[in-house]
Amino acid sequence: MNLLILVFIFVFSFSCFFFGKSQIKKIAAVNNFKTKALPHFYGFYLSLWCALPAILIVFLWTVFEPFIVKYLIISGLEQSSLADIDHDRLNLVYQKIKALYFGTYSGAASEQIQLGAKQYGSFLAMAQNAKIVLVFTAVIGFTLVAYKKITNNTHAREGVESIFKVVLILCSVVAVLTTAGIIFSLLIESIKFFSQINFFDFLFGLDWSPQKAFVRDTSIVLTASEKQELSNAFGAVPLFAGTGFIALIAMSVAVPIGLFSAIYLAEYAGSNLRKFGKPVIEVLAGIPTVVYGFFAALTVGPFIKSIGDTLGLDVSSESALAAGLVMGVMIIPFVSSLSDDVINAVPQSLREGSYALGATKSETIKQVVLPAALPGIIGSILLAVSRAIGETMIVVMAAGLAANLTINPLDSTTTITTQIVMILVGDQEFTSAKTQAAFALGLTLFVVTLILNFIALSVVNKYREKYD
Amino acid sequence: MDTKIKIKSTNLNVFYGEKQALFDINLDINQNEVTALIGPSGCGKSTFIRCINRMNDVIDICKIQGEIEMDGKNIYAPNTDVVSLREKVGMVFQKPNPFPKSIYDNVCYGPKIHGIAETKDDLDQIVENSLKKAALWNEVKDRLQEPGTSLSGGQQQRLCIARAISVNPEVILMDEPCSALDPIATAKIEELIDELKTTFTIIIVTHSMSQAVRVSQKTGFFHLGKLIEVGTTEKIFKNPTNNMTQDYITGRFG
Repeated sequence: MNLLILVFIFVFSFSCFFFGKSQIKKIAAVNNFKTKALPHFYGFYLSLWCALPAILIVFLWTVFEPFIVKYLIISGLEQSSLADIDHDRLNLVYQKIKALYFGTYSGAASEQIQLGAKQYGSFLAMAQNAKIVLVFTAVIGFTLVAYKKITNNTHAREGVESIFKVVLILCSVVAVLTTAGIIFSLLIESIKFFSQINFFDFLFGLDWSPQKAFVRDTSIVLTASEKQELSNAFGAVPLFAGTGFIALIAMSVAVPIGLFSAIYLAEYAGSNLRKFGKPVIEVLAGIPTVVYGFFAALTVGPFIKSIGDTLGLDVSSESALAAGLVMGVMIIPFVSSLSDDVINAVPQSLREGSYALGATKSETIKQVVLPAALPGIIGSILLAVSRAIGETMIVVMAAGLAANLTINPLDSTTTITTQIVMILVGDQEFTSAKTQAAFALGLTLFVVTLILNFIALSVVNKYREKYD
Repeated sequence: MDTKIKIKSTNLNVFYGEKQALFDINLDINQNEVTALIGPSGCGKSTFIRCINRMNDVIDICKIQGEIEMDGKNIYAPNTDVVSLREKVGMVFQKPNPFPKSIYDNVCYGPKIHGIAETKDDLDQIVENSLKKAALWNEVKDRLQEPGTSLSGGQQQRLCIARAISVNPEVILMDEPCSALDPIATAKIEELIDELKTTFTIIIVTHSMSQAVRVSQKTGFFHLGKLIEVGTTEKIFKNPTNNMTQDYITGRFG
């Protein structure tokens, strides 16, 4: 139904465009005046006023309709015999009513639920009719108002411009609000977590075994020693260490390869090779991370293990090394693409100045080009680090799950992101400390990557200003 | 004064891809003189001086025919060492281009890569001498570790001159060295050029007629890739033989 309404709005607004455009020409000709803006602005003006308010109404209605219907049903139930039962039971009854109405209810329904389902149906129909009427009124009403304004020769161009501005503002507000919402939900759940677990035990504890918390019933009041024991199960240091360690392995692959290939592409490669080579490297960034995960778990991991076996080393089949190496390959394009850009931004005059003194190409690159591009290169590396820290799929598939505090790259280890996945996969109760730990970890990750990104961007920006 | 020919260009043709930029240039540059190259924009003056230190090698599509001899040796001969050529032929660019390093490191860059200085003291001495010759020493001697980019435009250009003379070249090429500078800085650089010519052979590209008159002993007029007229500066500006030269120096075109 919504689709039909939207189609109607679009068709109507589309025809309004041509109507407005031709109408203003006629009016201008008849009344012998010069229009303030070009005719198509009048068309835009009319069609925007016709479509935007109506679309907004459809959107808001669709979002709020279920809540209102639910409220009506439940308040109806409360007035009838069920007045004394608690909120959760009422909710359950409401779900049953809904199920019956949509035909997914199994078993015999009580009379009350059947009555409720009937009511639910009538509310829905009513809501739909009301919506259609409202949308039609809005379309016709706003179009008429806008048409009236057109005939008065308002400044349609300014009108259109300000409408566009409003639309753009709305879109950016949505983006900002979403971010704020995500941070807010992270914060709320993390605060719940830290009300159970000591903040410093979490940040500095050396033992991560959240399954201990899972068997606890949260309604039981814990003794002090039990509380301490619970707190001790959430020491996140092994995760931080694992994350940092894998990121370190990844960077030690990505930085040299990425940087050197960027130098080659920017300084040595011919323009044809560069045109071809840069996109090819950037393809690496387009491969889905889950595919890298396969590669790490099925090819690189066993390969490292077999090499280790022939050397007589004890290699776990899921190792930090495998995950780190593959992750390094994944972030090569982040380093190389950005570094290539900043190396290219170094003014040619600096290179010529160096050549003119008799410096060779490699001397020029080492002593003039790279120092000049250094801030930008550091920025690109920091961005790559924050990418490596946040990467999930590869480590889930290739690094293992055991929270070992180790610096042996051949051992399995785990990261913040892996643990978040582990904690939230499957059925969970959202009041247990174990589940809430995921949010605390998420918040930590968010703060760290935010800081890294912030530093990286400010470094890059500072560099940009230098040559302007 | 007994003049010796330092650089001799014979039938020099330069192409950028399909387009020919220079046509049969025959020009002699005298030692310890300032030679000015004048002419409208795009006439090939800069291309010509960039041939003398083979700076055009950097440009892929640039093809060069003909000969340039320096001290009797063709610098386009196959066995020429470009690095030592550029050590002998310094260059100052239109826009000051100090490296993003300290003032000190800017000047010692060349001596370091050519291994001219043995010890730190030698290096200090070279830096001081170069900056003194470039008439910049008194202004920067207390802040040698500050970045070269923190200097004013005129100071930056003198820093670039100091950088160029730090490797003790024989020839200095100057590509419109004053076009980005104000009259006071320009006057300082011109004064400097006059002093430098006792030690170096200087070729300067300029758009300013008065500058050519002030600093040069010999002037060449380029137009559309051809060397139209060359002679002593006095003759070119007082008594040119070619009508085009006459028109250009009196401001009727270009």
